[in-house]
Amino acid sequence: MIDTKHTILYDSEKCIGCKLCYKACFVDVIRWDETKKQPVFRYVEDCEHCFSCQAVCPKDCITVIPDYSSERLHQTFDCYR
Amino acid sequence: MKYEIKELQTDVLVVGGGVGGLTAAISVKECDPDLSVTIIEKQTTGYAGKANKGGGVLQYFDLSRMTPEEFAEYHVHAIGCFLGDQDLMIKYVSMNNHMFDKMVEWGGKLPKNEDGSYRVMPTGPMTAMITVDLDVTLQFRRTAEKLGVKIFDKVTMSDLLTDKGAVSGATAYSILDGTFYVISAKTVILATGSQNYRIGSMWGSGRGDGIAAAYRSGAQMRNAEFGNFAQLVKIRSHNEVVFGENFMHNRLNENVTQNFRKEREPDISSTAIREWYVQMCEGNGPIHLDYGSQAWGGGERGGHGGGNAKPSYGEKFRMLNMKAAMNIDTDLEVCPLFLGEQSPVKVGHDMQTSISGLFAIGDASYCGSTAPGAVPAPPGRNRGSGILNAVFSGIMCAEGAAKNAKTAAPRVDKSQVEVSLQRTYAPLERKDGCTAKDVIRIIQSAVGPMEQSVYMRADRIAKALDLVLQAKELAKTMKAVDFHDLLACHEAEAMVLSAEMQFRAAEMRKESRGWFLREDYPEMDNDNWLKWIIVKNENGQMTFSTEDVPYEKWAVKPQGK
Ligand SMILES: Cc1cc2nc3c(=O)[nH]c(=O)nc-3n(C[C@H](O)[C@H](O)[C@H](O)COP(=O)(O)OP(=O)(O)OC[C@H]3O[C@@H](n4cnc5c(N)ncnc54)[C@H](O)[C@@H]3O)c2cc1C
Ligand code: SF4
Ligand code: SF4
Repeated sequence: MIDTKHTILYDSEKCIGCKLCYKACFVDVIRWDETKKQPVFRYVEDCEHCFSCQAVCPKDCITVIPDYSSERLHQTFDCYR
Repeated sequence: MKYEIKELQTDVLVVGGGVGGLTAAISVKECDPDLSVTIIEKQTTGYAGKANKGGGVLQYFDLSRMTPEEFAEYHVHAIGCFLGDQDLMIKYVSMNNHMFDKMVEWGGKLPKNEDGSYRVMPTGPMTAMITVDLDVTLQFRRTAEKLGVKIFDKVTMSDLLTDKGAVSGATAYSILDGTFYVISAKTVILATGSQNYRIGSMWGSGRGDGIAAAYRSGAQMRNAEFGNFAQLVKIRSHNEVVFGENFMHNRLNENVTQNFRKEREPDISSTAIREWYVQMCEGNGPIHLDYGSQAWGGGERGGHGGGNAKPSYGEKFRMLNMKAAMNIDTDLEVCPLFLGEQSPVKVGHDMQTSISGLFAIGDASYCGSTAPGAVPAPPGRNRGSGILNAVFSGIMCAEGAAKNAKTAAPRVDKSQVEVSLQRTYAPLERKDGCTAKDVIRIIQSAVGPMEQSVYMRADRIAKALDLVLQAKELAKTMKAVDFHDLLACHEAEAMVLSAEMQFRAAEMRKESRGWFLREDYPEMDNDNWLKWIIVKNENGQMTFSTEDVPYEKWAVKPQGK
């Protein structure tokens, strides 16, 4: 999927800087801020709503809210585009 | 250009840190602990590959109930349709229990019964399944590191280097800071996954850039036309419905599964996709699933490893996905979603490609190995074969890979490195141009529609190819704004290449066989098409030839042959 409009909520207060979310993202949406020791959600438009970052976070800092309608299937029939 | 250049040396370079790459790295170390083994992974080893996000299903063969030869015979008729290498299939089945033992040894969590035997769930007369927790790749990573395997994450391979027809290493770059790596290696193992074209939300990491690098360096491709896997998904969440093809109903509530399926089949078939398309064209859509009194047949994602009360690694991840989808999936209307899964790097039984010292395993070479026959890469009508094939081919390549790494040090050709450096950073150096996504969008519009890529016909293939050629021209003008974007540009180039091979080979194969379905050539043609299509880069030209399937040497032969 490209150009998706999924939302990622992140609570920096609870974050312990374990870096797991950064490692878990398989499409490089999440970068790591070495100074703040926190994740940066830099390329959210590439997010594929896999939920890995949310699932691995030990402090429940991350919530992924998919916008399924932003995912294009490339089918001929208009209703399934 | 102002990019930092680092030189690395290793005996064995593994490209891709998914389940296949990790298996190969561990297996080479087990073969010869003195060899230096390095993994480069464009994202993070252990997390990035598909096994970390899939169903965790492993195909189990009860070898006390049937022989590998019996399974191979069943497979030839039901799945591979005479295009599969029966010897390789027999080896794969024979190694089933050994693979599970190895996976457990390396940290994989496979549920066991009290008596120590694996907990097996039968799925049919010939097959059964067991599950593995999705942290399997993280466990394998730990094992690899303990054995001394060096891992470079966020480093993506750009080109393969060769010396007198043999592999001599690879170039790569960091997607974080753009550092360029020149890696000299005696053996290179490509474990870069398949080509998914980035349409399906099924979290496949395969963008075909490993396939493209192999092609550019002259490695042959085989069965590229079988890169057209599709799955039925719910129309809102796009979540796949495994086995949903058995319960398809149209707007008039007629059971349309019976139009293409007379008895239970192992998995989704392209005939189910054709039926959806035909029903839609006739105005009988939409298609929904009606399970009636039948038990729900899904559950690829149902299993979890561990076998204890603690929720498994995979459980949390699956629950989040299911919960989010539940809010939006108000009914069971379905449509097909293109996933691709092209896996065409041609390899022999030792997983060596046509370039000496270059091996390709897992989803990079599934169809190229011809093991599965006339179907796309996993799951390609053979659930649980994806992870296991990656493990199988990772183990199979190790001996040859290790032996090859004992040879004299390769010579890295400076002029090849210079060409690769220029090619790699060209999109960043351009002043302006189109984006990677402009190119990807066109490719997706070529491969995405079912009537272009799955239920094919000459005019529709031509239309798709036309789009691919437009994308090919546009790709020459791509402009990258940073290193993340640079990777997207290279992935877009790889998609153009994969799609071109796919449609040109599909145009050539004038028959229908297994998953491969043409409206204009609906019959299987054993007189003319017991052949594999070979694709090769000859001085920049994409060339096509055929190779006869050596069915004479295998036990199961086509009728009349
Ligand atoms: C949703 C889903 C469910 C699945 N369910 C099952 C199942 O239940 N059972 C089963 O057996 N199979 C299943 N599969 C298939 C199975 O997961 C794959 O067949 C298997 O994991 C392939 O392993 P691999 O190592 O060959 O490739 P991958 O797992 O794709 O790994 C390739 C790795 O290479 C990296 N890479 C790619 N290009 C480069 C480059 N240029 N440089 C450096 N690194 C690179 C990628 O980032 C990735 O980490 C599923 C797949 C999906 C997507
Ligand atoms: S949901 Fe998946 S793709 Fe999206 S940011 Fe999290 S890990 Fe990355
Ligand atoms: S996984 Fe959670 S706690 Fe760890 S760095 Fe990410 S947000 Fe912070």
